[in-house]
Amino acid sequence: MKPALVLRMAWRDWRAGELKLILAALLVAVGTVTAIASFVDRLQQALLSESSTFLAADRVIRGSDPIPDEFVRQAHEAGLETAGVIAFASMVFAPNDDSALVSVKAVGAGYPLRGVLRTALEPFGDSEVAQGIPPRGEVWLDSRLFPSLGLTLGDSVWVGVEELKVTRVVAQEPDRGGGMFELGPRLLMNIDDVPATEVIQPGSRIGYRLLLAGADAPLESLRQSLPLDPVFEWQSIRESSPSIGEALARAESFLLLGGLLAVLLAGVAVALAARRYTLRHFDHVGVMKTLGATPNSITSGFVGILLSVGLTAIAIGLGLGFALQEGVYQMLQEMLRAELPPPGASPFVLGTVTGLICLLSFAVPPFIHLRQIAPMRVLRKDVVDGGPSQLVAYAAAFAGVLVLLIWYTGDLTLTLWTLLGALSSMFLFGGFAVLLLRGSRNLGMQARSGWRLGLAGLQRRYKTNVAQIMIFGLAIMLLLILVLLRTALLEEWQQQLPDDAPNHFVLNITPDQVSPLESLLAEHATRQGGVYPMMRGRALSVNGTDAKEWESEHGDRSVPGPGIDDERNITWSDSAPKDNRILDGAWWPEGDARSLISLEDEYARRSGLSVGDRIVFDVAGRTIETEVMSIRTVDWDSLQPNFYVIFSRAALADVPSTFMTSFHLPMERKPFLNDLLRQFPTLTVIEVDALIEQVKSIVDRVTQAIELVLALVLGSGVLVLVASVQASKDERVREHALLRALGATRSLITVSLAVEFATLGFFAGVVAAVGAELTVAVLQSQVFGLGFSLHPLVWLLGPLVGACLIVVVGMLGTLTVVRTPPVVVLRSLD
Amino acid sequence: MSGSNLSTEQLAESDGAELAPAADASPSILSAHGIGKTVRTGDSDLTILDGIDIEIKRGAALAIVGASGSGKTTLLGILAGLDLPSRGTVTLAGSTLTDLDEEQRALVRGREVGFVFQNFQLLASLSALENVMLPAELRGDSDARAQAESLLARVGLAERTSHYPRQLSGGEQQRVAIARAFASQPSILFADEPTGNLDTKTGSTVIDLLFELNAEFGTTLILVTHDMRLAERCSQQLVLDSGRRVS
Repeated sequence: MKPALVLRMAWRDWRAGELKLILAALLVAVGTVTAIASFVDRLQQALLSESSTFLAADRVIRGSDPIPDEFVRQAHEAGLETAGVIAFASMVFAPNDDSALVSVKAVGAGYPLRGVLRTALEPFGDSEVAQGIPPRGEVWLDSRLFPSLGLTLGDSVWVGVEELKVTRVVAQEPDRGGGMFELGPRLLMNIDDVPATEVIQPGSRIGYRLLLAGADAPLESLRQSLPLDPVFEWQSIRESSPSIGEALARAESFLLLGGLLAVLLAGVAVALAARRYTLRHFDHVGVMKTLGATPNSITSGFVGILLSVGLTAIAIGLGLGFALQEGVYQMLQEMLRAELPPPGASPFVLGTVTGLICLLSFAVPPFIHLRQIAPMRVLRKDVVDGGPSQLVAYAAAFAGVLVLLIWYTGDLTLTLWTLLGALSSMFLFGGFAVLLLRGSRNLGMQARSGWRLGLAGLQRRYKTNVAQIMIFGLAIMLLLILVLLRTALLEEWQQQLPDDAPNHFVLNITPDQVSPLESLLAEHATRQGGVYPMMRGRALSVNGTDAKEWESEHGDRSVPGPGIDDERNITWSDSAPKDNRILDGAWWPEGDARSLISLEDEYARRSGLSVGDRIVFDVAGRTIETEVMSIRTVDWDSLQPNFYVIFSRAALADVPSTFMTSFHLPMERKPFLNDLLRQFPTLTVIEVDALIEQVKSIVDRVTQAIELVLALVLGSGVLVLVASVQASKDERVREHALLRALGATRSLITVSLAVEFATLGFFAGVVAAVGAELTVAVLQSQVFGLGFSLHPLVWLLGPLVGACLIVVVGMLGTLTVVRTPPVVVLRSLD
Repeated sequence: MSGSNLSTEQLAESDGAELAPAADASPSILSAHGIGKTVRTGDSDLTILDGIDIEIKRGAALAIVGASGSGKTTLLGILAGLDLPSRGTVTLAGSTLTDLDEEQRALVRGREVGFVFQNFQLLASLSALENVMLPAELRGDSDARAQAESLLARVGLAERTSHYPRQLSGGEQQRVAIARAFASQPSILFADEPTGNLDTKTGSTVIDLLFELNAEFGTTLILVTHDMRLAERCSQQLVLDSGRRVS
């Protein structure tokens, strides 16, 4: 068929309203996917850049040896920004001979590459963004060092043999979240002053870092080309800060799931709309065939019409999607703070491919079936049109969905669980719907009352109605799934970050300070966590083999986490920490006299350790033999003190230890820290309130994105309902027009339609509630790693919302027909 | 392509040039021999047509009459190439329809055949003019619009060209359908109960128009009807009873 004729036919169909639903369904599919993908794209950039501030860079190379100049040279060649950092612990001396152990961070020009460094002109005072780093000969100190060393700005301090002038107060560093317990009070100095201090001697424990910033591609190729192992470690945000990494990963999964459901719903809408279009064109095609249209020209003509609608929908959908995400971005820009680069090309490619796949798998099969319409049907309505179209159509739709979803989420597990949930619910509840509708078949039309007429109508057309219950059920189910998951995610985050979460940690508490400190905190802080003994220790040997050797032979280096012989914080405890879960072995009974340890799961896997292994530790210079009693998980998201290795009390009975605790202090009571440090000058206080605020702002942002996705998916869901009501409209209209012609009143028809739609909606709601509960249970445990819980509200809301929604959509779709005189309806249907 | 010396492309490209000599050489425009149609209903076979032979000369008019269920419409469909018989052969304007596939039969229909149906079969989404333009558009004619306008004027609907079928009366709809049938400049016109949905007066007006145009265009006419008066206006009658020709 000639393109000009195809376009003319498309225009005539459009004018007659036959193509509007297909266009709308495709628009929603393309628009939603483009909007979600663009927004997620930009949001990910925002989140990643924000998260990068936890590293003060996009990537970090760290090691205990100086970073080779070659690394820096290669990074510069790749167009990356760099900054050097050296971190070590040292004593600092004040003019009055007071001294304190500090965490020195010596930074090079450019630090921080991501995030901001804030400084103040008085301890605990208002801070501002620092311009640059401490000049040579100057240091910037943590607020808490001023009371403990009796310093004021302008005084000098000695680091090693070098005298340095205190010129500012360090208020906030971006990369403080990395490992909060390694930090003492901060002393920030210029990296070029380090040699003059003569602090770095052979054998000193020094951490060297090279901060890197730039685009992903050069960063990754640099990672591949540098000889990092085994001395240097490559860090990105996900490895360095598990709590942020987890939140991001879950948010991404959710957003993608949302997009996936939107595509599924829009796909169903496209399929329904295409099916209705083709059903209404059977006679049309029959007539065209009598006029000489060949099967090939029918195919080229109608697929051409579909393509012209599809391409129009894709073009408009891409624009709509862009406008939508731009609108949301503008709304959220205030909160995002940073200017984001515009979305790349990939969301638009994704939108286009979504549109094309929706067309090919959902719409083309029924359109191709048109070629098989027998021309004889213009003479005899009873002619059956052959062809394997139904099976082909379902298979094509399924294949299309699968390809689209896997490509879209890049996550086979998520896709398969969702599809499995949806499909098994459909089959299970399809059978259920048949039973419901066929249960008590009434005879005739039952036109005495609207109620009976409506119910009898449901039973007479039970095949169509079962299909409709399944489609309505699927749409409502997908919406419920998303609402439930959103609630579960947000609640989980809320629980992890309650308003009174500990935001200050106190370290280096001596045994005799524990009791007076506890009373002071009880008086001034909002909430105090438990008191934990804390010491430093590292593994020496495992089952008689050197620890490092054991790890390289038995360990799994692909598991993230610290190495076996890294020195780290350890503790002892009589009971297992509240958030931890024992995976293997058992916790020791209180008062057990044996020397036992419990290991964190990833640490154990990385080092190849299991229950029963005998490990020798060096704790504060003493050699301690232990046996692994249990392996446990640790909830790193909890922002509570967590330990890779926990000893039994008996194991560390003779080892002197300090203690740590945590408390919550609201912003307005920050000056309390001055009193605290004046009273206990040797304590180390770590403020993580800024970190917690940062995590909260990320969660808030992700929440906004989730709300947007939910709204878009709701839109797709309603479209499916409209498409489904439209698809069954013709038959209902014909029947009711006949009834009206035979004397049925408008109110009888209206009531019967309402009853019919309400019953359909109610059953669909029941189906949806059961399906959503099952799917959410599986998704929560398999994909999101959340606990299982029942949702009684869904059982009430599903059927209720189902009934109301379908009545509204259904009545709006058919009321015009009730208002039109029956003779007009009958003539137009002839 | 079994039994035919024409490829699909040749059929598509030819505008009758290759078929025309064959048609001219043939003594009749339509011939059917030993037509039988059997369909499977449940476990048994139902014979709808059995052993029908027909020869129609160019420009003649044939009425197929018979009671309901006698097989009239099925026979019309087979003669027009809309359906295939279970047995026998049909040759229309030189092409043996029973040897062609649906693609090729459609090309023959487009070139040789016009239809008028009992329920008009106008496309509801198209205006009267667009309905009449459709056959020429499908053929790829550039002057489809002019042809259609003149045909609508010829059937007395010059003022109603932009109206949709639902805005036209039954008689008007059938006149549009007749205009559309002649728009394909058919050599043979099939009409299935053309007055079945019309009152007597409108029906006779429509029939008058049909026969006028038939004479004007030199078209062969085959119609199915219950109406004996209408049948008598045709030069030949074929009476069916339970799928068999009785006269």
